[in-house]
Amino acid sequence: MYLFLCEDNIDGIFTGVYDAWASRYGHNNVSLTTCPPHNYTLFHEYISVQTDFEKSAKVARTLLNRMGEETYTEVCQAASALEDTSHKKQVMNKADALYKTIVLALSLPDSSKVLNYLGEPYVNRVFHLSRSTGNEAHHLLGFLRFQELENGLLFAQIHPKNDVLPFLGEHFSDRLPQENFMIYDATRKQAVLHPKGQGFFITDTQDLDHEMLHRFSPEELEYQKLWCGFFDSIAIEARINPKLQNQNILKRFQQDVIEFARSSNNNILKQ
Amino acid sequence: MNLQMDMDLLEKLTILSDAAKYDVACTSSGVDRKGSKHGMGNAIAPGICHTFSADGRCVSLLKILFTNECIFNCAYCLNNCTSDVKRAAFTPDEICTLTMEFYRRNYIEGLFLSSGIMVSPNYTMDLIYQTVLKLRHVHHFHGYIHVKSIPGADPILLEKTGFLVDRMSINLELPTADGLRRLAPCKSRNTILKPMRQIQNRITNNKQELTIYQEPPRFVPAGQSTQMIIGATPENDFQIMSVAEGLYQKFQLKRVFYSAFVNVNNNDMLPALPGGPPLLREHRLYQADWLLRYYHFHVSELLSEDRPDFNIFLDPKCDWALRHLEYFPVEINQASYQTLLRVPGIGYKSAERIVKARKMNRLNFDDLKKIGVVLKRALYFITCSGKMMYPTKLEENYICENLMRDKTQIPRDIRESGYRQLSFFDQDMRSDFHLTDAQIIPPGQQIYTV
Repeated sequence: MYLFLCEDNIDGIFTGVYDAWASRYGHNNVSLTTCPPHNYTLFHEYISVQTDFEKSAKVARTLLNRMGEETYTEVCQAASALEDTSHKKQVMNKADALYKTIVLALSLPDSSKVLNYLGEPYVNRVFHLSRSTGNEAHHLLGFLRFQELENGLLFAQIHPKNDVLPFLGEHFSDRLPQENFMIYDATRKQAVLHPKGQGFFITDTQDLDHEMLHRFSPEELEYQKLWCGFFDSIAIEARINPKLQNQNILKRFQQDVIEFARSSNNNILKQ
Repeated sequence: MNLQMDMDLLEKLTILSDAAKYDVACTSSGVDRKGSKHGMGNAIAPGICHTFSADGRCVSLLKILFTNECIFNCAYCLNNCTSDVKRAAFTPDEICTLTMEFYRRNYIEGLFLSSGIMVSPNYTMDLIYQTVLKLRHVHHFHGYIHVKSIPGADPILLEKTGFLVDRMSINLELPTADGLRRLAPCKSRNTILKPMRQIQNRITNNKQELTIYQEPPRFVPAGQSTQMIIGATPENDFQIMSVAEGLYQKFQLKRVFYSAFVNVNNNDMLPALPGGPPLLREHRLYQADWLLRYYHFHVSELLSEDRPDFNIFLDPKCDWALRHLEYFPVEINQASYQTLLRVPGIGYKSAERIVKARKMNRLNFDDLKKIGVVLKRALYFITCSGKMMYPTKLEENYICENLMRDKTQIPRDIRESGYRQLSFFDQDMRSDFHLTDAQIIPPGQQIYTV
């Protein structure tokens, strides 16, 4: 058995898929993983995959051509999902599930139908991972809050479980083409940047000026106050139901939503 | 920015959102629209919830009234001309600024604009029209707009507004003409149904234009919706659902909303409801509404003159299945999509997945669980490759007893809030909610006199 260790992101996994396929060891003799194993096993050969954007782009192009946009998006969502590293549950590693799903897809006459094979455990895993990312991204399309900074930039901070930045970047670039905005993933220390009138890009944020993030435009706090006023008065007293509220907008999202984090908002940003 | 002016705006916003909160339709669904280079905003068909207010309801749109001044005297409405509340009115510019600034901060998905009736229906409708016109053409707003049309306004104003907005709605308010006459004497079935028909016809014509011309302006692309108040008048569930079915079939409405009545005016003509608004009833109506729209059910299958109200203990689908055990068990690997839709515990998405997945492999119970089927409800009604999950009896009392153990039959939030001390045999409670014996005794069980 040959184990390919790849980086935990789309490009890492796609490079792993490329290398595993090109290795010609046979699909049954290879396995992919994104987590370095705790115990190395005898009779397994470990191969580290060097992420290579050219290889990853080739895989992406093939998949998009064969699977069509819809299924390809699902595969990308699954690759962006958070891997369960607790090792409590014995689950199939997402890179391996993706590799097997891709192998199956490319063997089918119509690769776009691969996710219908929900009876196959690895397809099922991809389906669940993809849904997890898709759901979180959809929630954040609504729960994300921009704050206008002194320099006119719209800034939003999020703490997502899965890597949702590409999906958010696409949505908000279409929605706010004439704005300079930045969406900061505080878990991964990455950000989407969108300059007015152009496309967006994702970047690491080592040199992010945290001081700048507290200097709001003069109107910003006024609009926050107006919004919170609206938020409070729109609830029907006779139906007040905090349990239902917390069930619908989970606590982990609330920390970055201004109407929920009113008093502690500044503290969170300072950290 | 002038601070005094700003204080005013906050106060206005508080008054006019407070006045709009009993309108339940706050969805931003039904239309896909890409953004444009120079404007701001787009729309996606499933809609987006931006936050959830303290009552747990989704907030998607900036839901406000243009004004809460009103010349009408509807008994159930807080803003009627006889009630003593603080009145306010926005200007079109204020609404535009609020919408644009809230939208770019991603607080909202768009605007939901309704209004009390100021001066006359036409005067009010024109103000609404001017506001959305400005929003679309001066501010280049491409997000979602939902407008209430004012009963009695001129058809030409409706037509002009319809080309600017995504959704229009006219509230039916009460399920029967009789209720309307009693509680909302300034409105009539005619002033509600006529514009509803006008919008329906215009949408149909517009669809034909779409096939002829390349890019004609679109008329109310997300369709129209309406709302009924539940529990203010004595109509039963059968009457309410029949009205809803009629609206879906004859008026092609996208959604009918049900709003549990809250007695805000303490009006003598209206029930007092000491147990809080009838939330469980509202919940059952929404469940049945989904059965109509997504599960190919007809009202006549769910309710009848003899059984005019929904069961309190069981959701309408389980209730139906228990009364039609002759259709079960259903074989998962063979049954048609329509048959699968009727199985409790199988939603329309799971049904779709089953139909696709079984082409590839025979499905077993483990697969069903992963697909998303709720086995604790479904297991009494299905077989996989001819076998049931556990040895169970296909018998009404037995299944009913087991289904009732499932606590989700009455949603947790309702169980723990409004229905906190709900004792079904408490006579006061029963009269408040108009409960009949058939409703509170689980099907198939003997009724002992209390």
